[in-house]
Amino acid sequence: MVSARITKKLESLPVLVLLAAVGLLLCSVANARSRATVSPSQALFWIGLLVIVVPVFFRLSSKAPSYRERLGLVLILGLALYGVKVVHDSIFFTFPDEFVHAFNAERIAEHHHLYYFNPALPVTPRYPGLEGATSALMMLTGMSSFGAGIILVGAARLTFIAALFFLFARVSGSARGAGLGVAIYTGSSNFLFWGAQFSYESLALPLLVVVLMAFVEGEAAAPERRRAWLVPTVLGILAITITHHVTSYAVAIIFIVLAILYRVLKVRRPNPWPLALLATVSALAWLLIAARSTVGYLWPVLKEAVEGVFKTAAGESAPRSLFHASATSAEAVGVTPTPARAVAILSVLLLALVAFPGLLQLWRRRRRDPFVLVLGVAAVVFFGALLLRFAPAAWETGNRAGEFLFIGLAFAGIYGAGQFLRGGPTLERRRLLLTAGLAVIFVGGAISGWPWDVQLARPLQVKAHGREIDSEPLALAEFASKRMSGSRFAAPEADARLLMTPGHQIAFGGQGPDIEDIVNNKKIAPWQLPVLRKNNLPYVIADRRRNSGDTLRGYYFDSPGQYGQELRPKIVVHKFARIPVGRVWDSGWIVLYDLKDRPRR
Amino acid sequence: MRGHRDLQWASAGAVICAVVAVLVPWEIVRVIAAVPLTLFLPGYAVASVCFTPRELAPPKLWTLSVGVSLMLLALGALLLNVFPFGLTTLSWAVLLVLVVVACCRAAALRRGRPGQRRSLRLSWRPSSLGAGLVALAVVISIGALVLAQRPLPAGNAVGFTALWMLPATSQETGVVVGVLSSEQDPKAYILEVARAGKERPKTYRVSLDPGEEKTFEIPVSRRPGGRAHVVASLYLTSQPRRLYRRVSTWLPRQKTFPQSP
Repeated sequence: MVSARITKKLESLPVLVLLAAVGLLLCSVANARSRATVSPSQALFWIGLLVIVVPVFFRLSSKAPSYRERLGLVLILGLALYGVKVVHDSIFFTFPDEFVHAFNAERIAEHHHLYYFNPALPVTPRYPGLEGATSALMMLTGMSSFGAGIILVGAARLTFIAALFFLFARVSGSARGAGLGVAIYTGSSNFLFWGAQFSYESLALPLLVVVLMAFVEGEAAAPERRRAWLVPTVLGILAITITHHVTSYAVAIIFIVLAILYRVLKVRRPNPWPLALLATVSALAWLLIAARSTVGYLWPVLKEAVEGVFKTAAGESAPRSLFHASATSAEAVGVTPTPARAVAILSVLLLALVAFPGLLQLWRRRRRDPFVLVLGVAAVVFFGALLLRFAPAAWETGNRAGEFLFIGLAFAGIYGAGQFLRGGPTLERRRLLLTAGLAVIFVGGAISGWPWDVQLARPLQVKAHGREIDSEPLALAEFASKRMSGSRFAAPEADARLLMTPGHQIAFGGQGPDIEDIVNNKKIAPWQLPVLRKNNLPYVIADRRRNSGDTLRGYYFDSPGQYGQELRPKIVVHKFARIPVGRVWDSGWIVLYDLKDRPRR
Repeated sequence: MRGHRDLQWASAGAVICAVVAVLVPWEIVRVIAAVPLTLFLPGYAVASVCFTPRELAPPKLWTLSVGVSLMLLALGALLLNVFPFGLTTLSWAVLLVLVVVACCRAAALRRGRPGQRRSLRLSWRPSSLGAGLVALAVVISIGALVLAQRPLPAGNAVGFTALWMLPATSQETGVVVGVLSSEQDPKAYILEVARAGKERPKTYRVSLDPGEEKTFEIPVSRRPGGRAHVVASLYLTSQPRRLYRRVSTWLPRQKTFPQSP
């Protein structure tokens, strides 16, 4: 009796809130230790994550909590896990896409209009939903894009979690199932870090879930009340259209499939073809009118993915090694330890174990429901998309698709978990087993979603003798921000992103135009100076650090024992001095040249 | 809107938040005002037009309020972009207030006679122990965020020193040379600035603490119509013969791209 009372107290919402906060603190301490370059803190980080998720998962598996308590639990889960991303980078954005979108937001705040050019990802200003919304917060608060972005993505995350809960609750008819569905969704490989970054998909995906929630709520409402739910559905479709290309196509596909299924299955409710038409027309219209460059951006990626799959299947190219960023060659990335790989693979097996019984049940009991069919198909396609991870050119496509498909997988998992938790004498033991399984799924997703060696923060700004010092590329970006306003740079990709924000400069990196070869080659080829001239890039950054081309690892202080500290040959940096041209900045590994500063010929 | 207290509060709140966000200079106060104005009230007002108080439970209403607010922000940016003044503090404030007040007015007309009250309260009443635990959790979370924002000593981080040089003025009659230390410990340097091959270099002894920067403005004399090649070299005092950093410029700058390497 007493032990039951203690268990009840320990499972109460305030205790779980406290545990989530303690878990967040542990993650923050692990990141702080990593930034302080003291002994490895990875174990502390994973313990912190488990302290957040395990008590919530265990409570969600219970029959006791009310609908609202379950909602509270998933919100705590979502908030605490978003906090884990925030404590990873609390000074500046450091995820590759965040620089791109922060730059766009700052340009909007500076120029008061949308669509300003972005040198890193030219397609992004054509989808200004996220940055436009962020600009409102920036202007009304005076905050930087970093502060405003964190608040905005945080609001989107909470909306996402709550809407997913309502969606699952409505479609499954079970609050317990909805809570477990959200718990399973946190095991999506992109949930912990990728989906929490300041990027257009981080707003578009929550809006997609709100649209789906509004749609199913409308379907469940009395006929005279359906129209009310159309307002958020339509607003959501339009907002997604101008926020993220792939999500807008996903919305269109979902509603087209639903419209077809309503017709085929002769569903008595009104066919959602007007929504399918709206989603398709708005996505196509936006693509043709405002965002034509999307074709040039997405088409090569999809083409390469398809070709990559066929080549790998035909044995023409070697399959990709799992837990590496892209190809089969040895890369300058951290090696994921074997136990971590085992957990990640086990998590996929557990997902299959929980999803397939669920899919069977859905097929037996709910196959006349079009929405359930769509979710079920998404779950099946998820496992197909996992195979894309073995094709070097297709792994990223498969990884991104997972974020959408996981909604269906989590829904199927609700039924699998429900079957596992059916009443009986060993229920408590099965609850523990399910909690452990969900924890493995969550940890496995986090492991496979973000490279092992950058799960923890690295030193970007550190304290020495009581004063703050910046990493080498950050110091250059700060210098440019203070003394070279509005300049145009060619630079290795990581340096270029820092120059964009917080440096507030126009900085080109990467391959469009081919700056990568210009800054990496040992010699200046005849085509290179014309490219710089054509793009009006007088300032060129030469960086000996090999990881300066790495948009995950190239921003930080070097510290012994870290990956990616190899150096390029000296000639890579000094080749520009042979032209000769002026040297504006020299900090050892990084030299900034001014091509327009030279002796008269 | 008389009698519909939630709509009155939403409208008044939007106006007050907008005024505070536009006029108050302190960032934290503006954040407190702007967050509900941007992320809650517009969605709440739209949801109030669509749903009567009895049709939507508070948790769904709150979720819809934030979700629809995000949608309106994205679409609002598109709308403001059409106007010549574009997206400014004032235009955002006016647009959001207009949306909230107009939708609240429409919701009041739709509701008709007062009587249907919307309760925004979530019916969770924790015990004093529960409230204490939640308060402790808030404190711990804030501690976690503060810890994450603090730069920490990182003994193994490899420091560096930067030397830079830019024209001092737009007339390019001199240069500014800067030495920035991002080293872990105080360091002493010798800085030499020379007009290549013409004069004896000017020498400076520079001592810098970590994070400290010193700049030197150096006039550069040159022949009429001629150009000066200025070279700044930095040496560590501990290794005065070994070049540590070097920057250079030709004044006035050519301002055209080289044709070939």
